[in-house]
Amino acid sequence: MTVAPVKEEKRVFMTGNEVVAWAALAAGADIMYGYPITPQNEVMHYWSRLAPRYGKSFLQTEDELSAGFATTGGVMTGSKAFTATAGSGSVLMQEPMAMAEMMRLPTVTIVQQRGGPSTATVIYSQQEVTLTTMGGNGEGIRVVYSTAGHQDLYDYTIKAFNIAWKYRFPTFVLGDGYQAKMREPLTIYDPEKRGVKLLQPDPFVGKEGEPGRDRPPAQYRNTYNLEEELYEKIMSDMKEFEENSADIAEYESSYTEDAELVIIAHGIVFRAVREALDNLRQQGLPVGAFRPVTLRPLPVGQIKELVARVKKILVVESAYGQIARLIKEKACGAACEIHTMFKPGIGIAAEEVEVRAKEILAKQ
Amino acid sequence: MSDRIVEAYIGEYASGKSESAINRALELARKGRKVNLVDLDLVEPFYTLRPLQEELSRLGLEVIAWKTEETVGLGEAGTVIKPAARWALRRIGDVILDIGYGIEGARTLNLLEGADEDPDLKIFAVINISRPMTASVADIVAEVGTMGHVDGLINNTHLAEETTAALVQAGSRIVTTAANAMGLPVIATQAEEKLAGVIGPVDCMGNRVRPLKRFMPKAFW
Repeated sequence: MTVAPVKEEKRVFMTGNEVVAWAALAAGADIMYGYPITPQNEVMHYWSRLAPRYGKSFLQTEDELSAGFATTGGVMTGSKAFTATAGSGSVLMQEPMAMAEMMRLPTVTIVQQRGGPSTATVIYSQQEVTLTTMGGNGEGIRVVYSTAGHQDLYDYTIKAFNIAWKYRFPTFVLGDGYQAKMREPLTIYDPEKRGVKLLQPDPFVGKEGEPGRDRPPAQYRNTYNLEEELYEKIMSDMKEFEENSADIAEYESSYTEDAELVIIAHGIVFRAVREALDNLRQQGLPVGAFRPVTLRPLPVGQIKELVARVKKILVVESAYGQIARLIKEKACGAACEIHTMFKPGIGIAAEEVEVRAKEILAKQ
Repeated sequence: MSDRIVEAYIGEYASGKSESAINRALELARKGRKVNLVDLDLVEPFYTLRPLQEELSRLGLEVIAWKTEETVGLGEAGTVIKPAARWALRRIGDVILDIGYGIEGARTLNLLEGADEDPDLKIFAVINISRPMTASVADIVAEVGTMGHVDGLINNTHLAEETTAALVQAGSRIVTTAANAMGLPVIATQAEEKLAGVIGPVDCMGNRVRPLKRFMPKAFW
């Protein structure tokens, strides 16, 4: 007999990694496959402490390749399976996640970004944007949510399972070492009590009946014989991805209506931007802020509308231009000035964003 | 009877061990006592008093902790106990120990020379009922039960900036009930200075209230 892990809405105090474990429970996840890497370890620690209480499972594999492949296997058997990783571990996971893209498997992967390249630091960065959105040898047929704190980690981890199982795109929740380790209050809740219907997984393999007679055969391929076969497959997947992109894409924006300068950031850096924005607005400066919540697919319409309308944008990130590259691609052709503030591997404070924004506003 | 105060702060992850240890050390130092504050967190050496040691030294504490530049690959490359921390119980003055989280943290005390025979050593488990792992009496009893020898509980219930006096008092009721169930005393209820003033010198369960000044927001990594 298992009980609901989160019975009532409650304000709690947690670290980000714990939030992920509780959110996965609330989302009805069945099993986590994982391999340790800082700064995501406590996702595993807390999941493996909580799992037995709620009839859930955990498997520690021998590396991230097998954690990723085990996750794909888990979903194929009809389990809500997930994994969590970071940095070099995330690099290894691209092989299984590319297979998940090809076979349209609803895996959920939590990525707590650390410094890069290679093992770099165990601490923090936003340098896994390119990897998480476009990793693998394919076209990035995946969904990536970038969270900006603990409530987001809870909400979007729950959402990731539903989105993955609804669209059958591998889904990622992109956090970072700061969010993983920092502690702050959030509200935990049972999503069904808030009217969110949790999708029930169904198996890809081992279904009832005889294949070909009672049901279509279950054939999931990651290998195709002919170029034309592959072409058809990719074009059909991309069409589906693009048709659903506007529904999946999410963003947050404030004060952009009358802004001369709009600051764009994602994830935890947007917290500094929010604070800077409040200060700048209090000083009467025409500044706005925009945050893509989904980095893949991006809220393309909103970005295009923004760059067509405002004079200047400032892209701020704890990486050397990874989100900026995505924004610039969508901004291509617009007349607005694109300014950047790149601080790979270190945190960004509101004060520095404020100073930079003022410099840009002052320039004619 | 020895006048020496030796206290180790253990507890669940993010329960407030470092904050409790720092504030207790400063409370003793303000009374003119010589206080050694020792970082024994080998479980997660990032979010501890390491980044605060200069500030704490200026406030009159003898801080025994690695300096950031003395460490390599924090956490990932394993953690080496600082020799001065291993022998901390032989130092002159009071000794306040900040221990890593969970069972592994509590086991760190085995590395402390003389820990098993020090007559003054008291081990206190820090509890915040806003943490789901220690939210109920049963959870607290189970959690503390894993930690080996414990001499008392500390009610450190809070929700950061959202903490109210009512929440701290609710924490006190649950922590005190759990302590009674285990036959342990509640050493103190902790609350940020302003709230402590609202609650008064003792809480609703008769536990002494220790005012806290928050240092940890400055201690990140």
